Amino acid sequence: MSAGFGRLLHAEWTKFRTVRGWLFGVAAAAAAVIGFGVLPGMSGSCHDHACRLPTGPDGTEVTDSFTFAHRSLTGDGSITARLASLTGILPPDPGDDQPQGEGPSHGPATPGQGRPGLVPWAKAGLIIRAGSAPGAGYAAVMLTGTQGVRMQHDYIHDVAGPAASADAPRWLRLTRTGDTVTGQTSADGSTWTQVATVRLPGLPATVEAGMFATSPQYTESTSEVFGLTGAGGGPTRATGSFDRIVAQGGWSAGTWQPDKIGGPDDAPRHGAVVDGDQVTITGSGDLAPAVSGAAGLGTTITQTLVGTFAGLIIVVVIATMFVTAEYGHGLMRTTMAANPRRGRILAAKTVVIGTVTFVTALASAATTVTVGRRVLEANGVYVHSVSALTQVRVIVGTAALLALASVLALALGVILRRSAAAVTTAVLGIVMPYLLAVSVLPATAGQWLLRVTPAAAFALQQSTLEYPQVINIYTPVNGYYPLPPWAGLAVLCAWTGLALGVAAALLRRRDA
Amino acid sequence: MRTALHAEWTKLRTSPATIWLLLAAVTLTAGVSAAAAATIPCKTAACLGDPAQISLTGVQLGQAVVVILAVLAVSGEHATGMIRTSLTAVPRRSTLLAAKAVAVTGVTMVTATVAVGTSVLAGRLLLPGSGYTAAHGFTPLSPTDGPTLRAAGGSMLYLCLIALLAVGVATVVRDTGASIGVMLALLYLVPIVTQALTDPDWKRHLQQATPTAGLAIQATRHLDTVAIPPWHGLAVLAAWAAGALLAAAVLIRTRDT
Amino acid sequence: MIVVNGLRKRFGPKTALDGMSFTVAAGQVTGFIGPNGAGKSTTMRVILDLDAADEGTALIDGRRYRSLHRPLTHVGSLLDASALQPSRTARNHLLWLAHSQGLGAGRVDEVLQRVGLSAAARQRAGGFSLGMRQRLGIAAALLGDPRALMLDEPFNGMDPEGIIWMRGFLRALAGEGRAVLVSSHLMSELQDTADHVVVAGRGRVIADATVAELRAAVSDGRVVVRTPSADAGVALIAAGASVIAADGDTLTVVGLAAQDVTAVLAGKGVPFSEVSAHRPSLEEAYVELTRDVVEYRAGDAPEGVR
Repeated sequence: MSAGFGRLLHAEWTKFRTVRGWLFGVAAAAAAVIGFGVLPGMSGSCHDHACRLPTGPDGTEVTDSFTFAHRSLTGDGSITARLASLTGILPPDPGDDQPQGEGPSHGPATPGQGRPGLVPWAKAGLIIRAGSAPGAGYAAVMLTGTQGVRMQHDYIHDVAGPAASADAPRWLRLTRTGDTVTGQTSADGSTWTQVATVRLPGLPATVEAGMFATSPQYTESTSEVFGLTGAGGGPTRATGSFDRIVAQGGWSAGTWQPDKIGGPDDAPRHGAVVDGDQVTITGSGDLAPAVSGAAGLGTTITQTLVGTFAGLIIVVVIATMFVTAEYGHGLMRTTMAANPRRGRILAAKTVVIGTVTFVTALASAATTVTVGRRVLEANGVYVHSVSALTQVRVIVGTAALLALASVLALALGVILRRSAAAVTTAVLGIVMPYLLAVSVLPATAGQWLLRVTPAAAFALQQSTLEYPQVINIYTPVNGYYPLPPWAGLAVLCAWTGLALGVAAALLRRRDA
Repeated sequence: MRTALHAEWTKLRTSPATIWLLLAAVTLTAGVSAAAAATIPCKTAACLGDPAQISLTGVQLGQAVVVILAVLAVSGEHATGMIRTSLTAVPRRSTLLAAKAVAVTGVTMVTATVAVGTSVLAGRLLLPGSGYTAAHGFTPLSPTDGPTLRAAGGSMLYLCLIALLAVGVATVVRDTGASIGVMLALLYLVPIVTQALTDPDWKRHLQQATPTAGLAIQATRHLDTVAIPPWHGLAVLAAWAAGALLAAAVLIRTRDT
Repeated sequence: MIVVNGLRKRFGPKTALDGMSFTVAAGQVTGFIGPNGAGKSTTMRVILDLDAADEGTALIDGRRYRSLHRPLTHVGSLLDASALQPSRTARNHLLWLAHSQGLGAGRVDEVLQRVGLSAAARQRAGGFSLGMRQRLGIAAALLGDPRALMLDEPFNGMDPEGIIWMRGFLRALAGEGRAVLVSSHLMSELQDTADHVVVAGRGRVIADATVAELRAAVSDGRVVVRTPSADAGVALIAAGASVIAADGDTLTVVGLAAQDVTAVLAGKGVPFSEVSAHRPSLEEAYVELTRDVVEYRAGDAPEGVR
């Protein structure tokens, strides 16, 4: 950086900090980001760690809730069984009912009112598990509602096997050799196909193994039109009937031991019935990573950053004024007389507004995420834990989002030279696509908007992952964006770069 | 008052920005409405879509243009110092404010009539293609239908009240950018914050107490599930507009210019 | 007639008006002069009810500005020629003003004609030079054919031709029987225009007189003598005068009138090429009067230190 540019930077910084309204605005933006994060309207019923989720072997928060009939297996061994039937009960058709405008219900199952059917990821099959503690490592081969045969292990891993209908009987086999587990399947019990071999590091010598069934929450978006957003759904259950069970290796003596892992204790119709060679298991829940939003519980740190929108509007107004005020009062001529190289004026203004916004936003986002989280938990809202790296990305990403938005607004101010037009364009260009996506538009159109408009950068705030094996409403309002974080950032960078380029070209060509 | 109103009308009429803003308001409102009517599907007889509401979606974008028009009518004078010329011509400040409010509202009403009319027409033509057909239990959108008339007429009133609110806010704030920022925050921040809240009571209260409660006037179906009944919602917005104008009237009388 | 009586106003810690009182009479041009910060603009703004005075009154024909029915028919004013929206044409700017007073477009064209802007009437006012804006501002002030006119620094930004036009124009307006108040911080601008002068300083009136009275008040009886002879000084001192300055062949004396100096020198046979009474210009009179009240003077020490 040349000394000349340094002086220019100093001049622009002096200009910025000597307008009291702008400093006040920056403080207001910080206050908005923090204030909205600790709004009292966020409250829940998860007090005293009642809703604490178990964590899987790799630390991910998981849903670990199923019914299972098991015996102990020491050393190597295998189990083979025929899943004679897989049936289930769904909640009443939400189409017959009024929409549940307030998100999913987490109430107890309402069996009896349901209709027969299976959710796509209802599952029943064989499982080998490190123990019955919540979040214990496992490997399982299973038949699903509509997703065919799958081999899953340690909650987050999922391997597809052959397509298979839940209507026909299905043979399954699980073999343990050391710390590897192999899953196989067969349509007739004689021709076997291997689904996958997985390694479960640290699997103890004695494991619990047997048959299981579970069925995740039914989730359907009713988010069709403005004012009726939300999700409908409810708990479901699946029943698997197993027979022709063959256990080989070091199995404990005795019959299959029925057991329920996780889930509400009062769910009456769940359980395992062992009748000689026949085991019937009814379960509800899931063996999967925990997600936030409609199909999950609680919220994520993303939601604590809702004040970003308020901060954004303030920052956009300040950044626009930072240049339109000069046009409005002829100061731009003074500025240009002092520095005839106009591109450098734009660069200096960009650096000043970008840095001020970035630093302010970084501090307020960090405060919000840390303090906001605590406030939410004190209010009984379950907040999903995230890795430190994700947390840093969300905080720095929020700061980058606001800084880029301010630079975009600055460039629009140069291009349009009118604060009314620049403020409106910048705010609507960034906020409107998001708002339309979360309120009015059908999901596909909304997702498309969040890929191509500057609002794509909100993806930086996503703090949980989407899992194909968990059905959820992966929408922006629940903290899920169509683009990965860095791609979203790149989209906003592209818009900002384009606007800066046009601004620089116009600045050089136009009379002051 | 009559001469002051005539002067305000002449100001609006002779400002080159006005005609472009009005055209933009009509185009954006009708365009977004038509896009919504063409893309929001109704797949079964049980679908939750509200045809009148869908065909009036564009009001949510059109209101931003109305805000610009109303804010500029006020803050444009402050930015240039012309407010002093205006006050020497019309020294009674509340008269000046009232004349401005009436002129802006009148222009907004005409624009809103065209924009809403076009939107409803677009809805009538496009909604059947999206599945809002007789087979799914919908009749074509018609202004002779009571609830549709209420939604359409109410949307025009909604836009007028937004204009009045913007005149009040701009008179208080005076700076163009800041006024537009405040208005856009009031209009667009609340729905976003509402979405993020988990407490249903807070959510409902926020929907009931903020200016965008006025959009409830567009609902014609599922009226038992909306946060606030249609006319109550419009009354909330009217209260906001009245409050802003009152604050403006007090400040414009006491402040030096 | 405009009557200003005992206006006081503070902006925070700063006293802007401190008992400002004067009268603007009909049929003459009243110059309102004072250094920057003397309170001229604030006084005009208070007269127009743009700012509220803490104390005192400013009445137009006995009434407050705010209570006037069609105020532009009572007082026309030009405070800031740039106080218009640049995107509007000159004619449209006047048109909304006319409508606010119940006047028609015909009157607009009349005043445009009168200030010589007819040709530029349909151009955007934002593209006007400052001089053209001043003319547009005068046109706006004349719109209601008011009996009083109040112009703040109307000479600013005008070219010499424009200044000559403005002077004649102001005289003509006073000649029509109107009360004309014109502010300026340069006495020279008003020297040949104003009949009456109100000199303001630090928020109050420090002189309120006709131009002739003002000149006389600061006249000091100095006589300038130009002579090649070294005897002149001796002769004049002998006759009772005092020489207060000698510079080459020029002497400045006091104590004798100019005709007495001529008589003394002629009587003693001292040659001289010029004897003239030193007549202070209005400018000098003004500088003299405002010496103590100038707020921002180059190289001044801050007030507290003095």
